[in-house]
Amino acid sequence: MTDPFASPRAAYVHVPFCRHRCGYCDFPLIAGRDDLIGEYLKALELELATVEGRPEIDTLFYGGGTPTHLPPVKLRSLFALLRRTFALAADAEVSVEANPLDLDDQRIAVLVEAGVTRVSLGAQSFDASSLKVLERDHCPEDIADVTARLGRQGLCNRSVDLIFGVPGQSLPQWVQSLDAAVSLGVEHISTYGLTYEKGTSFWKRRDRGGLNPVEEETERAMYAAAMDLLPAAGFEPYELSNFARDQFRCRHNQVYWQGASYFAFGPGAARYVGGIRSTNHRSVTTWLKRVLAGVSAIAESEELTREQRARELVMLGLRQTVGIDVSEFAERTGFPLRELAPAAFDRFIADGLMEEGGGHVRLSREGRFLADTVIAEFL
Amino acid sequence: MSPEFIRNFSIVAHIDHGKSTLADQLLLRTGAITEREFKEQLLDDLDVERERGITVKARAVAIDYIPDAERWPGLAAHLKCAAKPGKPPTFELNLIDTPGHVDFHYEVSRSLAACEGALLLVDAFQGVQAQTVANAYAAVEAGLEIVPVINKIDLPVTRIDEVLDEIETVIGLDATDALMVSAKQGIGIEEVFEAIITRIPPPQGDPKAPLRALVFDSKYDTFRGVITYVRIMEGTLKKGEKIRFMKGGTVHDALEVGRFRPGMEPCNSLGPGQTGYVITGVKEVVHVHVGDTLTMQGEQAAVALPGYKQPQQMVFCGMYPTDATDFEKLREELERMSLNDASFSFSPETSDALGFGFRCGFLGMLHMEIIQQRLEHEADVGLIQTAPNVTYEIKKQRTGEVLHIDNPVDVPESGDIEEFREPIARVNFILPSSNIGIIMQLCEDRRGTYKATEYLGPDRAQLIYELPLAEIIYDMHDKLKSATRGYGTMDYDIIGFRPADLVKLDIMVKGVKVEALAMIVHRDFAERRGRQLVKRLKKEISKHQFEIALQAAIGTRVIARETISALRKNVTAKCYGGDITRKRKLLAKQKEGKKRMKQFGQVEIPQKAFLSVLEAGNEE
Ligand SMILES: Nc1nc2c(ncn2[C@@H]2O[C@H](COP(=O)(O)OP(=O)(O)OP(=O)(O)O)[C@@H](O)[C@H]2O)c(=O)[nH]1
Ligand code: SF4
Ligand SMILES: [Mg+2]
Repeated sequence: MTDPFASPRAAYVHVPFCRHRCGYCDFPLIAGRDDLIGEYLKALELELATVEGRPEIDTLFYGGGTPTHLPPVKLRSLFALLRRTFALAADAEVSVEANPLDLDDQRIAVLVEAGVTRVSLGAQSFDASSLKVLERDHCPEDIADVTARLGRQGLCNRSVDLIFGVPGQSLPQWVQSLDAAVSLGVEHISTYGLTYEKGTSFWKRRDRGGLNPVEEETERAMYAAAMDLLPAAGFEPYELSNFARDQFRCRHNQVYWQGASYFAFGPGAARYVGGIRSTNHRSVTTWLKRVLAGVSAIAESEELTREQRARELVMLGLRQTVGIDVSEFAERTGFPLRELAPAAFDRFIADGLMEEGGGHVRLSREGRFLADTVIAEFL
Repeated sequence: MSPEFIRNFSIVAHIDHGKSTLADQLLLRTGAITEREFKEQLLDDLDVERERGITVKARAVAIDYIPDAERWPGLAAHLKCAAKPGKPPTFELNLIDTPGHVDFHYEVSRSLAACEGALLLVDAFQGVQAQTVANAYAAVEAGLEIVPVINKIDLPVTRIDEVLDEIETVIGLDATDALMVSAKQGIGIEEVFEAIITRIPPPQGDPKAPLRALVFDSKYDTFRGVITYVRIMEGTLKKGEKIRFMKGGTVHDALEVGRFRPGMEPCNSLGPGQTGYVITGVKEVVHVHVGDTLTMQGEQAAVALPGYKQPQQMVFCGMYPTDATDFEKLREELERMSLNDASFSFSPETSDALGFGFRCGFLGMLHMEIIQQRLEHEADVGLIQTAPNVTYEIKKQRTGEVLHIDNPVDVPESGDIEEFREPIARVNFILPSSNIGIIMQLCEDRRGTYKATEYLGPDRAQLIYELPLAEIIYDMHDKLKSATRGYGTMDYDIIGFRPADLVKLDIMVKGVKVEALAMIVHRDFAERRGRQLVKRLKKEISKHQFEIALQAAIGTRVIARETISALRKNVTAKCYGGDITRKRKLLAKQKEGKKRMKQFGQVEIPQKAFLSVLEAGNEE
C-alpha cells in the first residue's frame, strides 16, 4: 500500500491560462493575460529546479486553467521543462487537460511528440444552451471532431468532463449529453454537479436572483442517471464522479485518492511530500513574483497528525467505489475505521448509507447521493 | 488632603452625548495621562465597550488639578472654603464616567450617591433626550449640584438656544450658566474645571470621626480577589487596619488602599470625600455588597449609610452549554461574570431538551447581549441561548398562590390559571412632533395605553405611554429610531404588573415539543407569531435525511405548520488538482457547524434557531 512518506512517483503541473474565465470557475488562473506566459515558464523552471536529482515518476498531470491554451512553441517548452526535471517510467501516464477548440492538429502533434498518453477534454455538455450558460466557447460538434482527430493521432485514452445541474438544463437534456458522450467512443467520462463557489460571477448572480439553480430533486435524478447509464454502456464507476472502460482509469487521480505522495508546481498547486500537505499561492501574479524573487511559493502547509491522516483517508476512501479495506486501513493508520466515529458509523450502516462486505466498507448507492453528509462525520 | 480641595462628580448624559470623550479631555489636561498613552474613550476599557463605542460600566478616576495662576484670584473669590490660599492649590477631582444606556441606569444612580455634583452633558444638536431627563432627575433626587454643559458646539449645525430652553422647560434647571464645550476639540475645558471647583460643593466629613465609607462598586480580579470601590463619607480608611462590612458583618484587613489614576495607585489612607479602592483579600464577591457601608472594627458609633435599591432583572433567558460536559465550566464563567456585575443573576435549571443549564436574569436586552458576548469572547464555552422573555406573574386557581414566572416552561395548565399578569412600563418618548402619529400607531399596535403629550418647543414633543414590557424590550428602540430617522429617544420605568390575556405558545419539531422554543404571547398575536416562528425555523434548520414537520400550538391546538423536505443530494464534485486539504477543510467546517447544534429526537437544531423566536417578531 501507498506510503505518504515515500518519495513521490507522481507530479502535477498547473497551467493558469484561459481565454476567458467561465462564470462558475474559481480555479487559480488568469484570463486574457497571455503576455505572462513567458514569465510563467521562467518561474516554473525555477520552481522545478527545487527538485533534486531527476527522480522517476509514474504519472504526470498537466491541469489548469487550460494547458492547451499555450501556443505550440510554448507548449513544447513546457513539456521540455518537465522532461528535464523528471524521468518517466516506461509505462508512465502523462495527462493533459484540454479545451476542445484549442486542439488544432499542430497542438495535437506537439502532445504526441511529447509523449502525452491521455487527454482530458473540458466538454462539459452536448447541448448548446448549457454550453452558453457555462460561457464555453465550443459547440457540441467540436467535441466529436476533436476526439476523432485525437484518435487518428493515436491518442486513445480520452476522457470527457461533463457538468450537470446547469441552470436551465433539464433531465432529458442531461441524459442526451451522457448518450452523446458515450457514443463518441471515448474511454473515460467524469460527471460533475455544478457548484456555486464564492467569488465567482455565478455565485453573485445566484445571490441576486439572476441565476436559478436546478431543483435538488432534479440534480439527484441527473446524478442517478449518470450512475445508471454509464455502467450500462461499459463505463465502470471507480469514484463518485469518475467512470472508465477497462484499463482506462486515471492513474494519477488514484494517487491522490490512495493518500500517496505527489509533487506539484504552479500557482495554487497542492502537493503532498514527506507527510506534509502544502499549497502554493493561488494568485498567479503573487506566485510569479515570489518564485521570480527566489522566495517560497507556498501559502499554506500542514503536517498531518496520524489521526488526521486516518480521517483524510476515510474521506478519500469512501469516495472510491471499492470503498475502504477495513483491515488494511487499521494496519496502515493504526485506527480501526469504526472507532473514528462510532455513533455515526453505526447510524450510517443502519440507515443504509454505508454498507459492509468482503472486508470493505463503502457508500451504498443511496449513500453516494449524500456522500458529503457521511464523510463530514468522520473528519 | 483637606476636603476643601476635593470635588466628587459624575458625568451624566443621554447615550453618545460625549461623556467619555469629556472624561478623556479632563484626564489629558491634568496630565493624568500623557498624549502618548491616550486613546479615545480611554476609560471604556472592556472589550465590549471598545467594540460598541459605548460605556457599560461606571468608571472612577482621581485627577489632580491646579488652577491657572492668573485666574486664581478671581476664582478664589467664589470658592466655598475658609482659607483662600494666595497661590493656586492642588485640587483632587474624583470623576465618575457613567453609561448612558437605559439598561445601565442603576450604574448612574449608584455613582451619584458617591458625589456632590454632576456635569449634565447635552448634545448641542440633539438637545434634551429621554436619558437626559432620566439622569438629570436622578441627580436632582440625590441632591446634587448640577452643572449643565452643552457639548459638541463644534458641530456644523447646532441648536444651542433651543437646547438651553429645553433644559429649562423640560428638566427645570437654570441654564443661564451652562458651559459651552467641545469635548472632541478641547474647547471650553478650562471652564469645566473652574465650574467644578467653584460650583460643586466640597465634601463634608470629619477625618477623625468613626469611618463610614460607601461601597459603590466592586470588581473581581483573579490575582488579588475582590477590589471594593469606596467613597469615604466620614473618618479615614488606613492601610493595614481592620475593617468591617456593616451589612455583611465580616471583618477583614485593609491589605491595600488606593486611588484610580486611572490605573490603581496604592496610598496610605483615604480621607473624607475621597474616592478609591480597598483590597481585603476577600475572594468571594458575595461578601461584598454594593451599597454596604464600610467601617472600622470596634468603632461601633457609625450608622450605616442608606445604600441602594437593588436593580431589578427584567429579561430572562436560558443558557446551556452545547457540550454537556462543559456545564461546570459554564457555571464558573457565569460566576466570574456575576462577580463583576451584581445586576446579573443566574440559577441552575434543567430542560428536557437542552439538559443542564442556567436561567439568567438581565436588566435589559443590551445587558443580555453584552454578557453573552463576553462569555463568548472570554470563555471558550459553546452556548445555546434560548429566546429572552420578561418575568410574569400567575395567580393560581383555587389556592390563589402567586407564581413568578421567568421561564415559559413553568407556566401551569391553562385550567389552573386564574390570572396571568405581565409587567407594564411607563415609556417616555422624546421625538420630533412630526413623528408623533407614527409612534402612537406603533404603541397602539403593541397594546399601549396613551397617557400624555407635551410640546417641548416648536417641533419637539414628549409622548408618554404605558406599554407591556414584553412589547418594548425586544425592538421598540430600533423601531423608534427608524421611524424618527434617529431623532427619537425613549426611556422607561416599570410601574407594576397587570392582567392580560396571555397564552403559552409551544413549538414542535417532528413531533417533539421543544420547550426551549416556547414563549408567552398575547392571545391576539399568537397565530401571527406562530406562523412567523415556524417560517423562521424552516430557514434555520438544515435539511435532514427525512422530512421534518414544524408546528406551533396552543395547548393541543396546532395554529401554524411548515415542512422541511428531506435532503436528497449532498455530494460535491472533484478534489481538483489534488487539493485535498481544501476539500477536507470544507467538510470539516460542515461538521464544526454541527457542534453548535443540539439534538431533538432525530433532528439537529442549530443554536441560532433558539434566537429566531426573537427575530421572528421583527419581521412583521
Ligand atoms: N463633533 C463632536 N463629537 C463629539 C464630541 N464629543 C463626543 N463626540 C463624539 O460623540 C460620540 C460619542 O462619544 P462618547 O464620549 O463615547 O459618548 P458617551 O456619552 O460616553 O456614550 P455612552 O457612554 O455610550 O453613553 C463619539 O463618536 C465622539 O467622538 C464633540 O464635542 N464634538
Ligand atoms: S476553461 Fe476551465 S479552467 Fe478555464 S475558466 Fe473555464 S472552467 Fe475555468
Ligand atoms: Mg461613555
